[in-house]
Amino acid sequence: MQTEATLAQADVSDLDLVTRCQAGDTEAFDQLVTRYRTRVFGMIYNMVHSEQDAWDLAQDSFLKAWKSIKRFRGRSSFYTWIYRIVMNVTIDWLRKKQVKGGGSEFDDSVQLKHIEPASKTVPKSEALPHEMIERREIRGRIDKAIAQLSPEQRAVILMKEIEEMQYHEIAEALGCSIGTVMSRLFYARKKLQNLLRDVYENI
Amino acid sequence: MKTFEEKWTAWLDGQLSERELAEFEASLPDRAAAEAEKADVRKLGVLLKRELGVSAFANEEFFSHQLRERILESSVPSAKREANASTWWTIPRLLWTGTASLAVFLIFTIFVIRDKNPAEESQYLTQILNARVDPVVSPNATVSMFEVKQDRVTVLWTEGLQSLPADYAAK
Repeated sequence: MQTEATLAQADVSDLDLVTRCQAGDTEAFDQLVTRYRTRVFGMIYNMVHSEQDAWDLAQDSFLKAWKSIKRFRGRSSFYTWIYRIVMNVTIDWLRKKQVKGGGSEFDDSVQLKHIEPASKTVPKSEALPHEMIERREIRGRIDKAIAQLSPEQRAVILMKEIEEMQYHEIAEALGCSIGTVMSRLFYARKKLQNLLRDVYENI
Repeated sequence: MKTFEEKWTAWLDGQLSERELAEFEASLPDRAAAEAEKADVRKLGVLLKRELGVSAFANEEFFSHQLRERILESSVPSAKREANASTWWTIPRLLWTGTASLAVFLIFTIFVIRDKNPAEESQYLTQILNARVDPVVSPNATVSMFEVKQDRVTVLWTEGLQSLPADYAAK
């Protein structure tokens, strides 16, 4: 049940919170973090496939956002702005990891956790064991397929299909042209279609 | 001018304008295959959304707590940096202040001395005589001669003279 305080917090716009952050209000920044931490973490996790790395990168992204919040001019939404930081941090990390070439990108020891959609409002129903195993296998296939994309292609496909962002928002978040976004999306989809056709044909 | 990849993507996502759509669909060699591909991409999108759309984020409160700590830590070194920076700035400031004070003092002194000299000019002119007293007889002896200009009086002032040499006797 939401308290009056949380309802009041929900009413405050991102821009108001940003303005307070720019005056040094860490509590306002805390509210922004609470709003976006799950999406940011989920986005990064889908790109790096490691819970620990996603945690660290999300931390770094928010810390960077706090340090540069005074430069936010409100030309785009805070959401797009924070995504730009997240993408810079994550893509940079993925590139460095590729250069180092240290080990497999997948961390199979990490147990993927899923929560049911809208689990906060709907009573939770436990999935059957065989369903859980099947979901894990599918998730593993998807993660491996995504790992074969370039960092930029991963970012584009995830922002389009998961976050349902517009081309111009993706372009802004990645600091590239809309044409580049569309082109990357084309190749990312082609690759995933080839790798996952048998998966989505059977669902 | 859009490339084929851009047009294709825009077509799949329903982002082409009416005119672009008509042109693009007219240019497709196999419309049925293209529609099948479109359906394929939609299925892929549904799969990704379903499987990746909602990821658990355990310990989210701890995440915020850790971030608050890091923000606090990052602000402490910056405060230290500011303190260091102010120390660095103090040295030039001190130099400037010192130089300025010295300059003011010199200017003030020059003007004051120039102004005071005529008013406080002694009515005597002092001359130190070059005459040497025998250091063996009077090692600490000094001999000065004062001359009052207006009165034309000369005063011979001696100090530490233990005995007057015989040849100094008044004639």
